[in-house]
Amino acid sequence: MAVHPNKAGVRRHRLHVLARAIAAIIGGYVVTGLVVACLARLLPMRAAEASIAATLASFAIYAGIVVTVFSTRSMLRVWIGLGGALLSLSAILYLAILAGGRL
Amino acid sequence: MKESFRQSMAWLHTWTGLMFGWLLFAMFVTGTAAYFQQEISRWMRPELAATADPVSATQAAMTYLRTREPDAESWFITPPSARNPVTEVFWQPKKEEGQPPTRRKRGETSATLDGHGHPVTVRETRGGYFLYRFHFDLHYMPVMWARYLVGAAAMFMLVAIVSGIITHKKIFADFFMLRFGKGQRSWLDAHNVTAVFALPFYLMITYTGLVTLATQYMPWGVMANYASTDTFFEEVFPGRADVPRSGVAAPLVPVSSLMVMASRSWGGAGIGFVKVANPGDSTATITITRAADTAIAARGESMVFAGPTGTLLDRHVPEGGALATQSVMVGLHAGRYAGWGLRWLYFLSGIGGTIMVGGGLVLWTVKRRAKLPDPAHPHFGFRLVERLNIAAIAGLPAGLAAYFLANRLLPIAMDNRAEWEINSLFLIWAGVLLWACVRPQRRAWVESLSFAAALFATVPIVNALTVSRNMLTGLVTGDWLFVAFDMAMVTVASALAWSAHKAARAKPNATRGTRQKNKELTTA
Repeated sequence: MAVHPNKAGVRRHRLHVLARAIAAIIGGYVVTGLVVACLARLLPMRAAEASIAATLASFAIYAGIVVTVFSTRSMLRVWIGLGGALLSLSAILYLAILAGGRL
Repeated sequence: MKESFRQSMAWLHTWTGLMFGWLLFAMFVTGTAAYFQQEISRWMRPELAATADPVSATQAAMTYLRTREPDAESWFITPPSARNPVTEVFWQPKKEEGQPPTRRKRGETSATLDGHGHPVTVRETRGGYFLYRFHFDLHYMPVMWARYLVGAAAMFMLVAIVSGIITHKKIFADFFMLRFGKGQRSWLDAHNVTAVFALPFYLMITYTGLVTLATQYMPWGVMANYASTDTFFEEVFPGRADVPRSGVAAPLVPVSSLMVMASRSWGGAGIGFVKVANPGDSTATITITRAADTAIAARGESMVFAGPTGTLLDRHVPEGGALATQSVMVGLHAGRYAGWGLRWLYFLSGIGGTIMVGGGLVLWTVKRRAKLPDPAHPHFGFRLVERLNIAAIAGLPAGLAAYFLANRLLPIAMDNRAEWEINSLFLIWAGVLLWACVRPQRRAWVESLSFAAALFATVPIVNALTVSRNMLTGLVTGDWLFVAFDMAMVTVASALAWSAHKAARAKPNATRGTRQKNKELTTA
């Protein structure tokens, strides 16, 4: 992410950084939240234990997603990755809640 | 590809570090000081000297509470310990029918007692406890907002640590590399050495710090299994929900025998906390919690006894793996279990972190100054970082010294005295920020650092003039707290004075140097 010398380049660079930051901070948080919720439903432990175990891991997951978002070359791949994770995790969570138990 | 991964991480490290750097610096300073919060509190209440036997002091405190607040919902007693010479009590007053609970002033529902259960008169201060709370609650703003802000800073810190490790090629070799007097290279070395020196500590402290408030920051794990976080806490920590009073009076059994029994069942561990619910009623219960200094886990074991009979009703059940892990992580962060040696290690690691964050902030400006298009007139963003660096790195220490000085200099009987001690801290801090904005940056560095050094050097002098306990009397009578505190003040003052000296002598490579010279410096 080298700084471009001309003005238009600087602008493009800033927009690019903004897009990455949004993907990492907001996208990363939403995906982390979903991973944590799925783990809390699916880990084979008591409900309270599973909830806390998943929560404890959450910040490592979040940091991992942020690092990945900032190191992936193509922004398109970032959005596809985050979108795919969002959809599949939502589906898993939905099924896990439909299946009942806990709550 | 590999190289560009490292480059992207270097970029990420630079900007995540800068974004919350100043807040992280303040969190490191106050968090580090908070490892000695009890000692700071003792220094700030010099009237308290003698320590008392915890068991008889608790019994005496019960007698005091029985006469003062017989109808309270509950009493809370913290017995004296090796680190705190007095008994601290507070109580939840009886709820008035049909009246909303009113906010009460500190002092209306709490008291500080000596070993015989008599209230002691001490200057009003929040002591080291304020520094502990500022570390995650900040000040002058709603606690919830502050905690989200602090959490975001901690998350940025975690990302900065991870990306910093990836960026760093020769992590081991650089540990032995500290080149003095080489401008940018020295700043980078200092940042690297302090970072690598206690790297496991920073990772641990950042991660466990996030864990302390994890259910606030990341409630989705709990929300997936429970209707709300409240129902979760109710299940996990059944706090023997409020039982209404029966109205039948029944005197409490002496607490001393229960404390001795609890202590024996925990292998001789001390008692950290005693809670009495519905005192004086037939439904009364006494909950005794183990002191925090005998195990790492933050949630100490507890025992619940029936108030009128002393029968053991309930005891802490061992937790499952995840909850126990969480408890240990929180305990590792707070370090309440640490003895003196480990406590100093925590403290020194915290200082290392403070220097790492401060050095990183300075490095940001040093690296960019040489490349500025017009070094004499840097752009706004650069000037902002430069000034905020001065305000944070020199201003907060100056404010801390002012906090200690205010404790000695404000009139004892002053209204809102404790709050004015805190205001003094922020007034001086704001003063340094203003100063940093109006002065040329190099002058501002030298002057602010010298000012902070002078304030710290003044603390032992003002202390000696206003209070009968100081370093010299301490050496004679064995009052090591006052010896250590004065030494710490002198050490901090010397370190700040040394920094001011270095700042004054540093080669001005961008303010006076020509562009050509800068090019040589950056390529060298």
